[in-house]
Amino acid sequence: MAVHASLQRKDPRSAYICRIYSNYRKHCICRGDSVLSIKDVKGGFEILKLTPEVLELNLSDVENKIKDFIQDYLAKTSAKGVVLGLSGGVDSATAAALCSLALGGKRVLGLILPEKETYNPKDVEDAMLVAEKFGLETRMCDITPILESFYQTIPNFDPSDKICKGNIKARTRMVMVYYFANKENRLVCGSSDKSEAMLGYFTKWGDAAADFSPILDLYKTQVRKLALHLGLPKNIASKPSTPALWPNQTAEQELGLDYETLDLVLYGLERFIPPENIAKQLQKDPRLVEAVKRRVELNEHKRQMPLAIKLQYRTIGADFRLPR
Amino acid sequence: MLKLALAQIDCELCDKQKNLDKLERATKEAQKNGADLLVLPELSLTGYLIKDRVYELAEPIPGPAISRVARIAKESGLHIVFGMPEAHNQDRGILFNTAVLVKPDGGIEKYQKVYLPTHSVFDEKRYFRPGNRITTFKTNIGTIGVCICYDLYFPEVCRILKLKGADLIVAISASPITRKKYFEALTLTRALENTVPLVFVNRVGFEEGLQFWGGSRILTPMGETEAVAKDREELLFGEVDFHETMAAEVAIPTIRDARLELLEELKNSFENF
Repeated sequence: MAVHASLQRKDPRSAYICRIYSNYRKHCICRGDSVLSIKDVKGGFEILKLTPEVLELNLSDVENKIKDFIQDYLAKTSAKGVVLGLSGGVDSATAAALCSLALGGKRVLGLILPEKETYNPKDVEDAMLVAEKFGLETRMCDITPILESFYQTIPNFDPSDKICKGNIKARTRMVMVYYFANKENRLVCGSSDKSEAMLGYFTKWGDAAADFSPILDLYKTQVRKLALHLGLPKNIASKPSTPALWPNQTAEQELGLDYETLDLVLYGLERFIPPENIAKQLQKDPRLVEAVKRRVELNEHKRQMPLAIKLQYRTIGADFRLPR
Repeated sequence: MLKLALAQIDCELCDKQKNLDKLERATKEAQKNGADLLVLPELSLTGYLIKDRVYELAEPIPGPAISRVARIAKESGLHIVFGMPEAHNQDRGILFNTAVLVKPDGGIEKYQKVYLPTHSVFDEKRYFRPGNRITTFKTNIGTIGVCICYDLYFPEVCRILKLKGADLIVAISASPITRKKYFEALTLTRALENTVPLVFVNRVGFEEGLQFWGGSRILTPMGETEAVAKDREELLFGEVDFHETMAAEVAIPTIRDARLELLEELKNSFENF
């Protein structure tokens, strides 16, 4: 292999293309003094270009696939219908719309669960709008008394800890949704999207808890486009995301990046593109991309069964693998 | 006499620099104690259950990790064997579960694990390409044969290493505690049936719910177990006397008495199974 004189001058942490000229041209991808790959220019491959186009989907195709998935899964269980929380945000609206298109609105129950601290009449209005447009059954329940009961009952409750207090709301809504699932023989439909799921931007065993999650493999910006495609109003499709755990909370403020950029970072990480390359392509600080990568890795625990120590032949969560 | 240092270590999952720091510390300690060869466990560069992160952590050989270990070997004068995920030089998506022998003169030898466990908690065939070569490596401390973990379940691996002139077999492992009994028996058997000294170095610590059992040890060609480690991090020292091999070959002449026709029979039996 030819020695690269140019190697010594390069930042050892970044990946780059360096050209070696010998008898014939080659493209060589290096990092530091390590050669990652060599290909003839003719054979040619390039590191994936991260432009908004890569996130484009055939939305009709996606819609049909998700509808088939929902119908198929329901048919395989003995459930009569589906229940989900309707926040008035784009994720739950899209999930609800898909369920309705797949099963018929009558089989879909949307629970509207406002609470005093984060109450916004516009959100409730939007939830009702979605319900009406897609013929959903709805039930409204103000969960404030439940929350206050928690605040009063928990020993040494700390109202200033926003995250602890906020998670109670998410988990309470989970309890509500599962009550109706139990009582009315419904499956719980989740509203998590791929961006949130990868970032761990959800409450463990809270808002992500569900029996199936139709938009879990779609990035936030893709969900927004699908929402428009399904006929959801523009104001819902472009509403800023929020878990609404405390007033004025927005996802993009907390995460430090807008979803247009974030989704491209996550897409790149999904496809094993080195973080330095992602940063270079999107013209962002590499430390920011590393922070996103780290966040994705650290939140794996939220996406799995509780950890068990292996003591016997087949262990749940490890090697006891039954089809669902 | 070959002085061995067995670095039975826990590894920092996905942190190559920290694991190389461990390797460096172990080398210094081994050097102080006059060791000739330092052995570390399977995939000790990165940890074992790294799953999809193997794609970003695997390195070609030579590469940055090897460069650092080569420097450490050169400065200390020790031969070092350790495990790492290896990336193919040209094709980044092709990976191997590799044991590297780094010599103090800068020489690098590698063995790519042939038998990749894909059962129970093991998913190696998902990530790694099976190796195709079982060879020994000539060094100025003897001819060394290397094998990794599951390879020990297959008698042919160690037998081939012995037949290719191995003075010592180095078996590195990341073996979970559910396999302890098997490895205690297998390491003993492989040493005995081939009348060859065998050094076994295993991981300790937890990865997710999996506990590694340590138990690193030296097996003599006569089937004696020496220098056994427990189940915590430990730097164990031991010696191998190559003269013992000849005595063993005389007393247990399995290599002399092996019948090639039966190997033919073995092959046919497998094919017709």
